[in-house]
Amino acid sequence: MAGTDRVSMTDALSNVEVLDELPLPDEQPCIEAQPCSLVYQANFDTNFEDRNGFVTGIAKYIEEATVHAGLNVLLDEGQEHAVMLYTWRCCSRAIPQPKSNEQPNRVEIYEKTVEVLSPEVNKLLNFMYFQRKAIERFSQEVKRLCHAEKRKDFVSEAYLLTLGKFINMFAVLDELKNMKSSVKNDYSTYRRAAQFLKVMSDSQTLQESQNLSMFLATQNKIRDTVKENLEKIPGYEELLADVVNICVHMFESKMYLIPSEKHMLVKVMGFGLFLMDSDICNINKLDQKKKLRLDKIDRIFKNLEVVPLFGDMQIAPFNYIKRSKHFDASKWPLSSSQTPSPQADLMVHLPQIREDHVKYISELARYSNEVTTTYKECGTDSENKETADLALRGLQLLSEWTSVVTELYSWKLLHPTDHHQNKECPKEAEEYERATRYNYSDDEKFALIEVIAMIKGLQVLMARMETVFTDAIRRNIYSELQEFVQISLREPLRKAIKNKKDLIRSIIMSVRETCADWQKGIDPLQDPALKGKKDPDSGFNVRVPKRNVGPSSTQLYMVRTMLECLISEKSGGKKTLRKDIDEMTMGRKINKCNVRHHHNEECSDLITMEKRIQFPIDMSMPWILTDHILKTKEPSMMEYVLYPLDLYNDSALYALTIFRKQFLYDEVEAEVNLCFDQFVFKLSEQIFAYYKQLAASIFLDKRFRVECSALGVYLLPYPRASRYETLLKQRHVQLLGRSIDLNKLITQRINADMQKSLDLAISKFEAGDITGVVELDGLLQVNRLCHKLLSKWLALDDFDSMLREANHNVLAPYGRITLHVFWELNYDFLSNYVYNAATNRFTKYRGITFAQPVTRDRPPQMSHHYLWGTKQLNLAYTTQYGQYSGFVGPQHFHTMCKLLGYQGIAVVMEELLKVVKNLIQGNLLQFARALTEVMPKVCKLPRYDYGSPGVLGYYHAQLNDIVQYPDTKTELFHNFREFGNIILFCLLMEQALSQEEVCDLLQAAPFQNILPRPFCKEGEKLEAKQKRLELRYAALQIVPNIEKLGTAKQAMISREGDLLTRERLCCGLSIFEVVLNRLRSFLDDPLWVGPPPANGVMNVGECTEFHRLWSALQFVYCIPVSENEYTVEEMFGEGLHWAGCTMIVLLGQQRRFEALDFCYHILRVQRVDMKDETVKGIHLKKMCDRIRRFQVLNSQIFAILNKFLKSGENDELSVEHVRCFPPPIHSSFNPTGQHYHAPEHARP
Amino acid sequence: MAAPSARGETIQKQIQQDWINREYIEIITISIKKITDFLNSFDLSCRSKLAVLNEKLTTLERKIDYLEACVTKGETLT
Repeated sequence: MAGTDRVSMTDALSNVEVLDELPLPDEQPCIEAQPCSLVYQANFDTNFEDRNGFVTGIAKYIEEATVHAGLNVLLDEGQEHAVMLYTWRCCSRAIPQPKSNEQPNRVEIYEKTVEVLSPEVNKLLNFMYFQRKAIERFSQEVKRLCHAEKRKDFVSEAYLLTLGKFINMFAVLDELKNMKSSVKNDYSTYRRAAQFLKVMSDSQTLQESQNLSMFLATQNKIRDTVKENLEKIPGYEELLADVVNICVHMFESKMYLIPSEKHMLVKVMGFGLFLMDSDICNINKLDQKKKLRLDKIDRIFKNLEVVPLFGDMQIAPFNYIKRSKHFDASKWPLSSSQTPSPQADLMVHLPQIREDHVKYISELARYSNEVTTTYKECGTDSENKETADLALRGLQLLSEWTSVVTELYSWKLLHPTDHHQNKECPKEAEEYERATRYNYSDDEKFALIEVIAMIKGLQVLMARMETVFTDAIRRNIYSELQEFVQISLREPLRKAIKNKKDLIRSIIMSVRETCADWQKGIDPLQDPALKGKKDPDSGFNVRVPKRNVGPSSTQLYMVRTMLECLISEKSGGKKTLRKDIDEMTMGRKINKCNVRHHHNEECSDLITMEKRIQFPIDMSMPWILTDHILKTKEPSMMEYVLYPLDLYNDSALYALTIFRKQFLYDEVEAEVNLCFDQFVFKLSEQIFAYYKQLAASIFLDKRFRVECSALGVYLLPYPRASRYETLLKQRHVQLLGRSIDLNKLITQRINADMQKSLDLAISKFEAGDITGVVELDGLLQVNRLCHKLLSKWLALDDFDSMLREANHNVLAPYGRITLHVFWELNYDFLSNYVYNAATNRFTKYRGITFAQPVTRDRPPQMSHHYLWGTKQLNLAYTTQYGQYSGFVGPQHFHTMCKLLGYQGIAVVMEELLKVVKNLIQGNLLQFARALTEVMPKVCKLPRYDYGSPGVLGYYHAQLNDIVQYPDTKTELFHNFREFGNIILFCLLMEQALSQEEVCDLLQAAPFQNILPRPFCKEGEKLEAKQKRLELRYAALQIVPNIEKLGTAKQAMISREGDLLTRERLCCGLSIFEVVLNRLRSFLDDPLWVGPPPANGVMNVGECTEFHRLWSALQFVYCIPVSENEYTVEEMFGEGLHWAGCTMIVLLGQQRRFEALDFCYHILRVQRVDMKDETVKGIHLKKMCDRIRRFQVLNSQIFAILNKFLKSGENDELSVEHVRCFPPPIHSSFNPTGQHYHAPEHARP
Repeated sequence: MAAPSARGETIQKQIQQDWINREYIEIITISIKKITDFLNSFDLSCRSKLAVLNEKLTTLERKIDYLEACVTKGETLT
């Protein structure tokens, strides 16, 4: 649309209408108060500026309107002064005081003091003048109205109410002045400085200053002056009685809308009675004369013991009565009694409030659905009336609940707790702390939160309907007013004309003229009622127009006042009817103004809670409530958590718009910053803990849980379902005009928590031995589950990348876990663990240790939610994983496989091979060299004839040096054990890895078109069934599908992936085989094989090869030990044998070992002769038993090793190694005496 | 009698006009109110959409950071 184009009104309006139809989805549930960045308020209150327009009204009331306008201005001014006093901050404390008269810069200090304080002092001066002026004006008005002649006339309700407002203002100002000692201090500081500088030179200023300090210093000055002035006016008590009575009436018939109006009425009653009761007048007598109803007031005062005065100040109205001259407790039975007022107990109101809430909300919902589904230009009169009533009821509910909250709060402020009533309250608690922090029970806090949530929630709902409501209200008011004026008034008018009651006629006529809006723009002159005649039989039809506007404030005032005067003069039968109607009109009018403003309205008093000078957040009510929800973690309250925080919005708004004080806003802001940080911190920690707990509970073994409960051990059930989801969905929370993405803040924090959690899990592993690997895996799984649960709501980082980061595995090729596994293997596992094939486990040997004791970092301190969630869960899991801590078995190898991955395993094995290389080429070689020297040169197999004891004796003698060698059974075996443990580690890793891979492969199978063989009944064809199955799962097969649907590159990648998966096991890649081959390459020293056999075939008796050495060692460890010695099995486990056997196999000496071994020979001979005796302290039978056992073990080990080593070789290959020797020739044929021929000489 | 009635008539016309004017003002006010409401809900809707977008961008950014770290092995990309 071009800027210059003129847009017609209708177009503009329809453009606005169209706005409604744009869908503007907001994806979050609304759990905060009405969020609005933009507030639009139109104020149509003219303060009677337009009074002269209604010249048709009665002149007296137009004059009165002028008075009202003046009084209203004064009231506004009074409000400003009240704000000034209320928000006064002490300056004098911040101003330096000269310490002595000699201080050189004291003049300067005084000058500055005067400069700083004089604008403030001016405000005080103005305040003094204002109160003087206001009191004067008030007395003047009272005097005028109390004039003997005037008394006969009636005083309009509006007038009385304005006087009431004045009384209220005086009460407020007086109390504020009394309460603020800082005002006095500041003024005296100023005065001292000013006197020193002689600023106030002329007598007038001096006098003024004197007056001001007297005014400030005298308690109750305003109150007393008012009273003094009033007492001079004869008959003032009757006027005040009227004021009090109208207040009582309005209070009882609930003719107030907002809580502050209600409270004003009560304050006026109290202060009014106090003013009336004097030497001249006794209120008790007035009561007797039925001019006052003290019993009614008594009840009101009891129900509302404390009312908010201004801001967070409050007052007990009954105290005014107590202080009055003729106070008689017997007249005030209820208020004087000690029973607590109902306002002190929120819990009694709660059920009713809840019921009202539910009822109203459902009605509203029904209505709102109706409005959104059916579009109407404008409803009928009755529909409009219904809607208006609905709106009015909503506002009344809001107001009522707000009153309940504020009244409770005020009561609590005036009745602080102490350490006798509340055990939690410390003795030295501050006054304000005792009034807020410790003054509410848990239930009360919850109730308070609930009510606040209801108020704010309903306000949101009503605000959404606002345009609909205001529309209906305006139309309704208009039609009621017009029907009343144009139709209902016709009959009285006719009677007045007929009966020639001119006064009444003129009043009715001016009412009609003032506000009638005739269909034809002009009074229907032909109306028979105007001539005092009855309507013709056909009826006289007055058609009332329809408009979307209410009467102006002045217009309404005029009509009301004129009608009132009509009623008061003429006590006819129609009085009640009219009163009804005009009250209704008035109610509507107020209502109308309020719908527009209700946002501020009902918040404003909640805020009052909030105005105080810098206090710690612990004492601030909104934070107390918010914190209460967070502390109790009550799921049903969790969604309310933003409502108490919204109170800060209210107080900030109040500071800016009502108080208009920047510093106040800054204070609120500072507090909010503090609170909100706390809030997010606590909330995110709580959410994280909750989800961690949930994950850990899900992950906890079900049978463990069942058994725990069977044993009666208390185990926490699953955590209560909490409603954090709603909070997590919040992406814009309005707080002090900022929009906060709560989701983002929580995501940031939880991301960090998650990271820390993983980091700590790994740190915990690092602080323990290798058995902790199973627990580490469990922790990581729980964290993964927790991450999964949270990811539904939060955009957390990828779990695997987080894990890699925590593992320091992003930049380095291997992470902390791999490093620690290797560290533990190297320093603890290899040298201290003992393997046993029967259990397939390593256990730690706790006797003699050959390695340095291991020192590890202390485990990090961490709170429960970083571990398993809660204390109980931590306990449960610690117990569970405690089962894995005594040994290293298949479970550990499985988890190591999983955690290390191919890369980690490769690194660890590579490093272990280096260790082995050092062992073989270092220590072991040296030992072997030393031992070979003490070995007998030749040690033949003795003949069976010697008997087993003989054989044993022979060997023992031959091998005595070795048996006696000090380091054999310690250092040497230890080194072999380390070697053996490495071999076993590699073997077991290989096994675990194969199982993992098989699982992978099986899981991948359906996607690779590998299907289990279907069962076939007789007569069914396997192929056909197979085909059918393949067809059925065709959609799962990755490669063909990607080839069909994807790009060429994708197809290639998928094919390669498929191939990798398929081939991994099929070609039988084995780590262990590679490890063995690498080990073989380390055995390159000639010592291991010795010189070639002299006979060219093999050594029989010579002791040069490694297997002979091992036979000697085997002899050593087969000797049974005495009771106090340790066996090798116990000290070194089977690692020892694995080391020896592996070396033998890799050196190709297995057969020779098996044939020529010393121990085996002893066993063989013993088997034959079955002898049992003790040879040189060795029990033969026992020794044979040991030998047998180890023989079995050795052959098992050989079998396993050979399986791995031979797996790649073909059978033909092994055949080629067979050497053919010719049968030996008897020496008689061969004179050279050679036993054997060297192969090269052998005849083919 | 004629003069006051004529005067009365003008006043009645003025009051009538006042009604009309006030209705007009009222309608303009309602419309402004509606525009305000619209702007408020537009604001909310935009905020929630922008928040989602922001979240996506943050996630991507963090992923890039991570991948960059993976790829560079210590030295930074410049």
